[in-house]
Amino acid sequence: MHPALTLSVSFWSDQFVNGLTTGSIYALIALGYTMVYGVLKMINFAHGEVFMLGSFAGYGALVVMGGNDLSGPVIALAILGAIIVAMAASVSASVVIERLAYRPLRNAPRLAPLISAIGVSIFLQYLVLEQTSARAKFYPDIFPRGSLSAGPFEITYIQLFLIASSVAMMALLYAIIQRTRLGRAIRAVAENPTNASLMGVDVNRTIVVVFILGAAMAGVAGVLYGLFFQTIRGSMGFIPGIKAFTAAVLGGIGSIPGAMAGGYVLGLAETVGRELLNELPGVSLGNQWRDVIAFTLLVTILIFRPTGIFAQRSTTRA
Amino acid sequence: MPDRVSRLPSTPTDLLRFRWPIFIALCCLIPFVVSDVWVQMLVFVGLFVILGLGLNVVVGFAGLLDLGYVAFFAAGAYTMGLLTSPGSPIDAHLSFWLILPLGILIASLVGLLLGLPVLPLRGDYLAIVTLGFGEIIRLFLINRDDLTRGSQGLSAIPRPELFGYEIDSFTRWYYFIIAAAVAVAFCTARLRDSRIGRAWEAIREDEDVAAAMGVNTTKYKLLAFATGAAIGGLGGVIYASFIGFISPAAFSLQVSIDVLAIVIIGGMGSTPGVIVGSLILIGVPRILQFRETSDLLANFGWLRDALNALLGAIDAVLPGSIGRLPAAETWGARLADDTRFIIFGALLVLVMVLRPSGLWPSSRRRLEFAHDEPPAPVNAP
Repeated sequence: MHPALTLSVSFWSDQFVNGLTTGSIYALIALGYTMVYGVLKMINFAHGEVFMLGSFAGYGALVVMGGNDLSGPVIALAILGAIIVAMAASVSASVVIERLAYRPLRNAPRLAPLISAIGVSIFLQYLVLEQTSARAKFYPDIFPRGSLSAGPFEITYIQLFLIASSVAMMALLYAIIQRTRLGRAIRAVAENPTNASLMGVDVNRTIVVVFILGAAMAGVAGVLYGLFFQTIRGSMGFIPGIKAFTAAVLGGIGSIPGAMAGGYVLGLAETVGRELLNELPGVSLGNQWRDVIAFTLLVTILIFRPTGIFAQRSTTRA
Repeated sequence: MPDRVSRLPSTPTDLLRFRWPIFIALCCLIPFVVSDVWVQMLVFVGLFVILGLGLNVVVGFAGLLDLGYVAFFAAGAYTMGLLTSPGSPIDAHLSFWLILPLGILIASLVGLLLGLPVLPLRGDYLAIVTLGFGEIIRLFLINRDDLTRGSQGLSAIPRPELFGYEIDSFTRWYYFIIAAAVAVAFCTARLRDSRIGRAWEAIREDEDVAAAMGVNTTKYKLLAFATGAAIGGLGGVIYASFIGFISPAAFSLQVSIDVLAIVIIGGMGSTPGVIVGSLILIGVPRILQFRETSDLLANFGWLRDALNALLGAIDAVLPGSIGRLPAAETWGARLADDTRFIIFGALLVLVMVLRPSGLWPSSRRRLEFAHDEPPAPVNAP
């Protein structure tokens, strides 16, 4: 018989809520990876840095609007403003990156755009590190404290806001992809660029749109990350970037609902999963092993189910 | 008739045939003309030549993009550190010459360990998995502090002895590194021109076609990983012994970036490219740190003031958008850390867009990047 779990119910429900919170951020970033992969069959290595730039832009906007002195209902407006600024920053960075570093390499050998993307990633990361003298910045601590509880679940306002706004953004994106002309063009290019262009789809423009949509999601994720974790730094894009990629692979790279689900699965695996492993005799994994769990999951999935855990079609074999 | 042609006196081609011995001989003369700091700088360049040659096998020959090369370097260095440092729990006082093959062996086993699971993966997946793998190794070194002493590191790692001489001065290390680099360069060049090298090239060009032509892709990809890892391990053993102290901080992602940038900017698959790449990417930032260089730069203070005035004008329009140039004395130090990577990143993009075969491409690679691929459908109107 399996021994009963040693920790209390409220501990597990806390872990669950934490998992959903980080999972939301992974899911938002993962969308950018999966959509770009869908149309270009390439990993946009610089996407983690696009997320980082969004976070810094949102930070700048909040500080300009008054930082820690903000109070009352203005806070809601300030956060909305920060999100818009972050989206604008991420989107413009992403469009420039696509134009300068990826588009000239469309016909190049496979390794070329990949190396170029790594170059962009290194460039942006160290540029911001240099400009900030490698010091962390701290998001203004303005979000109202307090929490709601429902049964064993207790959720802080910030967690609720984070989860709700990511779900809203994802729903919006999903509607754009499924319901609009633009979305149809994106799906067509992902399916087959040649045929799409024969049907009158402007492939280059569609690719730019994909970069814009992905970057907008990353920008939102940047602000949410900042509000929740407060500490941001130039190197912050690296680990969430890899994890979001893991999430995209988990859900089947190229699949939009897959990336969303993958984000939550990964978030939960890191929190609930790690604690479950700790329940095994002789296992004691501290918080610092979180990243190891994510990477191990990535490698395992890539080996045994490269099309992702939910995939039906096997068109994009790894 | 052809016989007589071949006996003609020294032609440029003859000189070309001896270009490597001449180059090595010239390298050996350097310590007689420059000061110790320069020799020390060149030891580091030589170390990165070795690492670059190793990664060149994986990336340049076999076309497998490995972003976690530091893992093998760390494997070699920690083999040396754990078996010789007095601070290590398993210190065995082994000689450098015993550990050298052992470190190479362990590193290549780590290479196989990484290679096996990633075998079925395509280029971009491979890149991200190896990236994660490099990070895992570093996290492991930090977190298993019962074994590795965590971020405190392992110190007092002994130096090698050769024919009764301890390799202790920079000049001795310099010759030691040259000997090691020449050995590695010779081995990789022979491998490249062998049946194995041709198999790697076939895999790099098109794995499916290579498999269809009867190349055992599994075997050769693993061999590429193991060979690259072995060379990385060799570099690690030498590094640990040269510095005498290792800690996880020395095995960060930045080392992988350094080595990858050397291989790509120098020219994938090219030995001279690796040397040029190491000199530029490892040598120049160190040269900028020299006193002589900052004294020299101090003469150009007026230029810095002029540029700063210009930057100030931009800053006046867009407050906080742009920094100022630092004083000459601090340039080198700044270039040695973050600024260097800004330049590396930009160079990687520039090289890929403008000169994808690198600064000093191998002849085959040059052809490969020049030939026209069928236009990809994405570029359609």
